[in-house]
Amino acid sequence: MLQYVLVEHPFFALTSLLYLAATLAYAVAWASPHRLPGQAGTALMVAGLALNTAVIAGRWVEAGRAPFKSLFESLVFFAFCIALLYVIFERLYRTRLFGVAAGLMTFGSMAYALTKWDAEIVKLPPALQSGWFVPHVMVYFIGYAAVAIATGVAVVQLLASRIPFVHRLTTMKAGSVLSGEPLDLDQISYDAVRFGFILLTVGLLVGSVWAKSAWGDFWVWDPKENWSLVTWLVYGAYLHLRKVRGWRGDRAAWLAIIGFAVVMFTYLGISMLPTAEESAHVYTGT
Amino acid sequence: MSAGEREARLTTLLVFGAMTIGAVAQIWIPPGPTTLVAATGIASLVVLGLSFVVPGRLRTTLSGFRFTSSLLITLAIFAILGTLILQGKPAELYRARYGAVAPLILALRFDDIFHGLPYAGLMALFGAAILASATLRWPISARRAGFFIAHVGLLISGAGAAASSMLSVRGRIDLFAGGDVAHQVRVTRNGVATGAYEKLPFELRLDQFDLVNYETEYRVGYYEKTRIVRDGVAMDDYRLKTSFDPDLAWHRLPQGDRFRLKAIYPDFEQVARLTPAAEGPPALLVTLAGRPQWLQPGEVAGTPDGSLAVAFGDQRPIPPPGYATTVLVSLLERQVIVHRADGDAAQPLTEGLALLGGAVRFDRLLPHSARGAVYQTRGREWRNPAVVVETELNGRSSETLAVAAQPRGIFLRDGRAALVFEKRDQEVKAFLSHVTARQGDDLRRAVISVNDPFEFGGWTLYQVNYNPDDPTYSGLEAVRDPGVLWVFVGFVLICIGVFYMLYVEPRLRGGGIERPAPGTTSAATL
Repeated sequence: MLQYVLVEHPFFALTSLLYLAATLAYAVAWASPHRLPGQAGTALMVAGLALNTAVIAGRWVEAGRAPFKSLFESLVFFAFCIALLYVIFERLYRTRLFGVAAGLMTFGSMAYALTKWDAEIVKLPPALQSGWFVPHVMVYFIGYAAVAIATGVAVVQLLASRIPFVHRLTTMKAGSVLSGEPLDLDQISYDAVRFGFILLTVGLLVGSVWAKSAWGDFWVWDPKENWSLVTWLVYGAYLHLRKVRGWRGDRAAWLAIIGFAVVMFTYLGISMLPTAEESAHVYTGT
Repeated sequence: MSAGEREARLTTLLVFGAMTIGAVAQIWIPPGPTTLVAATGIASLVVLGLSFVVPGRLRTTLSGFRFTSSLLITLAIFAILGTLILQGKPAELYRARYGAVAPLILALRFDDIFHGLPYAGLMALFGAAILASATLRWPISARRAGFFIAHVGLLISGAGAAASSMLSVRGRIDLFAGGDVAHQVRVTRNGVATGAYEKLPFELRLDQFDLVNYETEYRVGYYEKTRIVRDGVAMDDYRLKTSFDPDLAWHRLPQGDRFRLKAIYPDFEQVARLTPAAEGPPALLVTLAGRPQWLQPGEVAGTPDGSLAVAFGDQRPIPPPGYATTVLVSLLERQVIVHRADGDAAQPLTEGLALLGGAVRFDRLLPHSARGAVYQTRGREWRNPAVVVETELNGRSSETLAVAAQPRGIFLRDGRAALVFEKRDQEVKAFLSHVTARQGDDLRRAVISVNDPFEFGGWTLYQVNYNPDDPTYSGLEAVRDPGVLWVFVGFVLICIGVFYMLYVEPRLRGGGIERPAPGTTSAATL
């Protein structure tokens, strides 16, 4: 399989390798007092992102449509969204601490795409030939990427209070934290969740408008719709609970992780549901 | 007991109380859209009213973040249950599928969970919570505008959904191109015909129905055997994993093998060919009317118009009937005889001999020959494409002819994978219904397709069905939904409100903490 991907899909393989290399460089930056490993991590992540963009653009041109149809295509796009948001995030918060988490998620997404290899370019059926298709998928996947990053931060937040090495990482100025200021992990995670929540809200709206224009119903209690609603409700609860005393810190971090688990189930697990056969949203090959 | 503990206890009481009252009440009241809307509306107002008159912390609890969070999580659990339990199926199916749990599912009406009274109870609390929190945060200020916009959006969406649920009508219209004009809709609920009809305020005619396919293309498909379950039966099936353009390059396959197309014939034909051999019958290469052909003794080649034929034999052959002129070739005599009705003319057979002004030419004579076949193309247009596939498995290569018109698998790895040269011409691109609608003097023509409905006379018409065996048929879904606009208005307000709350309000507050609403456990408003 590897040989096939290297020969037939070299850009896909190279993108995955760049993400893996970025992960390793970021990991080295954790332990290094120098900036170079961290800078290498950023450079590799940006290079991976650029190549990922080229993979998506190339497939878009080849297929003559947005490459969001199959699970394989969506995983490649998911990796792109995580990498894109992470690079912005790194610049915004001046920290490379979460590069390993982001790198693992981008590489993991590509690796999972490899195991679910479904590279065939399928023609778009009439139901997906809609102006809402691209915004709906894009908004949702950027939202998914945002909450994925929030989860990465939440994991570090939980580990930081339990493992001294991780705690030290959040405060040191060198390869990972560029500003030298201690990181407010709770606030960073919250920032990512609220950004993701807005996109999940817009995605839900766009999806229902599309459903109305395609089938005449804005809501049909399809399993995917229900789980998207569950996602929205869980993050809605997260945002509300932050206002309740005692629901920040570890509790909020756990809730962010639970929220992301729900997101992942909504994305990848719908085919396991007994009601999945009635869903219009299940990817083929899952 | 602290204020927080009291609030938590009251929250639990309210949520479980609403579900329990709903579960008990639906023993007498069957679930349904009307039940849901009516129960939600009435119970919301009752709870809100009680929150004003009952002493204690009811209203502050209802408007608190802990209560809202609990409610959202409970609603999420209901949404999850709705995906774990099949919805809207006959009772027998639940008994067959869920066994001992089936009576509980049916008793709690979890077979229609989103129209049941426990769900209505939760929605009632949700409505009451929004209204109660609004009263506590009144009046509207710039710092709280997001809260009001989002929550007004929720109420408008809810009201729109309620109106949609109770007042919308949907049904099917079956039309045939050039057939009868439709005046009514066959009403359906959850996709099942109710037996009722709704009159349309206009008449609708199908002028034409087009099923548009994607352009035909030829690909080399790579399939892998997978285990699937269909209708409860496990079976092997080949699933398309990837495909390749028909080109001459070597391609690597996922299981490590290689293949290439050694030859491509856009308009394939197989032509018999004779080659020199150590033994076997003799053969003569004749060019007749410009077309070269090999003949063995006993065979005849003729022009399509019947004017000229060449017969080849060991002895002088008998002239084949139906030809004006025949050229008879005798191998033993090494002689060529031009046979006409008015007489024969003979001459020696030599390679390169041309007769009848070049209409017949003898190019080559083989003393012994073997018959084989040669593949060639009639032209460059892709009319009947075929390819020669060369596969290389474990270092051993083999060649197979694959004709697109007769797709067959070239099996690899003991049948675990297969290559198929295939024609793809059945992929549907669009269903187009060309319709004319008339309401009085108002005449409108439109093309309805999936994702592009047609609105007329208060109804929206959607393309939903076709019949592959009857190209004149088109199935349309007709929907009249007075609530949907309000649902979307509400959605937009929710989006604006959420954005305002999460990004604008914190800036207006200077990033500080706002004074909590009286009596709640909150440290700040959302």
